[in-house]
Amino acid sequence: MTAARALRERPPGQGQPWPWLLPAVAVLALFYAIPVLDVVRLAFSDATLIAPATGLSLDAMRAILGDPALRKVLATTAIFVAVNVVALQLAGLSIALLIVRGERRGLKGMAAFRTLVLAAWVVPGIANGLIWGLLFDEAPYGTLNSLLGYAGLGPVAWLSDPRMALVSAVIANLWQGTAFSMIVFYAARRGIPPVLYEVAELDAAGPWRTFRSITLPLMRRAIAVNSVLVSVQTLNTFDSILALTGGGPGRATEVLALFTFNTVFYNLDLAGGAVLALLLFAAGMTLTLLIGWIGRDRGAS
Amino acid sequence: MKTPILAALSAFATIAALPGTSHAQDLIGRNRVGLPDAPNTLTFRLTSYDLYSSDPSTKEAFERLFSEFISERPDWKIETQLQTGNIGQEQARLLQQTQAGRGPDCAMIDSSQLALFKETGVLRPMNAVFSEEDVADLFPFVRDAVTNEAGDVLAWWWFTDLRVLYRDTTLVPDAPQTWAEVEAAALAVAEEGREGILINGGRWEGTAFDWLANFWAQGGRLVDEDGAPIFAEGENREKFLAAIRYYEGLVDSGAAPARITSITDYDAFTAAAAASSAAMFVGGNWQYGQLRTTLPEDRFADWAVSELPGPTADQRATGTGGWSIAALSDDPEKAALCGEIAKEIYAGPGNAAQGLLPTSASIYTEYDAYDGPEFELFAEALENGVARPGAAIYPEISNQIQILLGNVLSGTQEPEEALDAAAAAVESAYARQ
Repeated sequence: MTAARALRERPPGQGQPWPWLLPAVAVLALFYAIPVLDVVRLAFSDATLIAPATGLSLDAMRAILGDPALRKVLATTAIFVAVNVVALQLAGLSIALLIVRGERRGLKGMAAFRTLVLAAWVVPGIANGLIWGLLFDEAPYGTLNSLLGYAGLGPVAWLSDPRMALVSAVIANLWQGTAFSMIVFYAARRGIPPVLYEVAELDAAGPWRTFRSITLPLMRRAIAVNSVLVSVQTLNTFDSILALTGGGPGRATEVLALFTFNTVFYNLDLAGGAVLALLLFAAGMTLTLLIGWIGRDRGAS
Repeated sequence: MKTPILAALSAFATIAALPGTSHAQDLIGRNRVGLPDAPNTLTFRLTSYDLYSSDPSTKEAFERLFSEFISERPDWKIETQLQTGNIGQEQARLLQQTQAGRGPDCAMIDSSQLALFKETGVLRPMNAVFSEEDVADLFPFVRDAVTNEAGDVLAWWWFTDLRVLYRDTTLVPDAPQTWAEVEAAALAVAEEGREGILINGGRWEGTAFDWLANFWAQGGRLVDEDGAPIFAEGENREKFLAAIRYYEGLVDSGAAPARITSITDYDAFTAAAAASSAAMFVGGNWQYGQLRTTLPEDRFADWAVSELPGPTADQRATGTGGWSIAALSDDPEKAALCGEIAKEIYAGPGNAAQGLLPTSASIYTEYDAYDGPEFELFAEALENGVARPGAAIYPEISNQIQILLGNVLSGTQEPEEALDAAAAAVESAYARQ
């Protein structure tokens, strides 16, 4: 009775966290840690899709890391992720600020505009690839090329030219991913106290100065979080590329996630796929730590 | 008041008594065929192109066939499991599940994967259903694929397909017989502002499979008897390079547009035919029916099919695909029921319902659906049919051919360099299998 009362009367911050954390830790261990450990085990095995592992070996690791195609795939992945992460932030931030400004001015249709942008986000990756495949179609009756033709431009080799195909894959990913960045930035921007903007207005600060001195610093944490999320999302992208180009022409648009998929389902190489999955995991973790470090809080000043 | 009620009741009774309407619907569910309380169950993993087809007439035909089948076997129900369109992934999953003892009793297996399933020993004989005459009636390449050395019937390849050359006869009146004739005819059309010939060149299985006909026509071989890759060795290497150069020449000369490296489905050809933007294309036999329903009658009359051209007129080949049905259950009763599904529903009536090419010569004469002149051409071309090799390394060979063609046709690599890279990648993958 006394103990129960003492427990009830324990001041905030001095409770036992474990009883509360245990269920979450158990779920994470069951559904995340165990599969990840199994992937590590497979990476050091000779398992294929048609035969189970017969023992431990470094063969898969050596074969995959020594594969000449891997360098090209990693380069493509680096370009795809870097361009997307920067562009997604810029596009998401621009749209979020546009919506907030529109709402402040009482413009009609802002909610509809927000919904419209969000609609792209709910489209599955495969459908996204198919939609853009139709738009980029290079046939004489292809949508985008026909529109360009009316303006006396083009045609553009959207998907058949290796360099342009990567640009097209970035455009398709941007169209779908911008909505997510927009939501994060919209929420962060709405969280900034309006009084700060009122003060800036009283001080006759211009829009750029207001953005640089108020909006950007107060959204830094949101930008860091969003950078991590979109980096990992983009790194794991393969479904929209699979539907759009299949990774081609050649290997022009084959990113690491798609290469992993192909290694498992074309080569039937489960161990090799596990090595690539670990590489993907390491790349995601490195990006997360790097962005976390760059966006770390450097003190109150 | 009584009269309308009686009329309604009698109308209801009449509708209920109609064969193949409400009864068929009772027996066919989203994941079941037969009565729910039937004591015996067979699990059947199938594709979505027949019983669950989005085409109402195909769906109706298969519902009727399945209803008749299960009505004759009231003690059985079939639990159906749908495969998605991602064939490679689905078939790999099916194989894994079967090896782990969690697979279905009966399943549709893509013909290109059949050898892999045979090799792993998961297929169970269906000898009780298929007689020696049934097997003898199969096309030779099908017979070899579905039987083992002991003569056991391990699967039933119930339809096949093949690749042919389609042409708009108003632009190309005579069927090209050789690669050179194709290029000349396509170039003549291209100079008038249309696309000369369309072929699959994007990153997908269709690209490798369609192109392989040019390699096979020269007698080229991808793998040896043990399933080891040999396509880049000796005479095969020269044949391989010749076939690559044929495609490269088509693009470089302008006979084929550069956009072919982005074509990853056959529908692009049907669309081009509908838009009258292309003179020729290498397509599947099933596209003949699609053209008939897509084009106006007078425009459809302009289109003709012919055998795929070869390096010379007497060197021909065409890739053959299709689906098989195989038993995966150790229970002989279930294996037999699986064979009966293949024999009574799919091979024959199922072929005719969809206009798919049967694998037995006798079915062509048995059904009116195969009376058209195009089927004579298809049957003739099937004599030169070549199935994909039954080796576990084939999917990776195909993958490398897709990469190689993409690189060569987009000008990123020379044929020799691309072939060397592909051969090294395949060798490395083979060493790991």
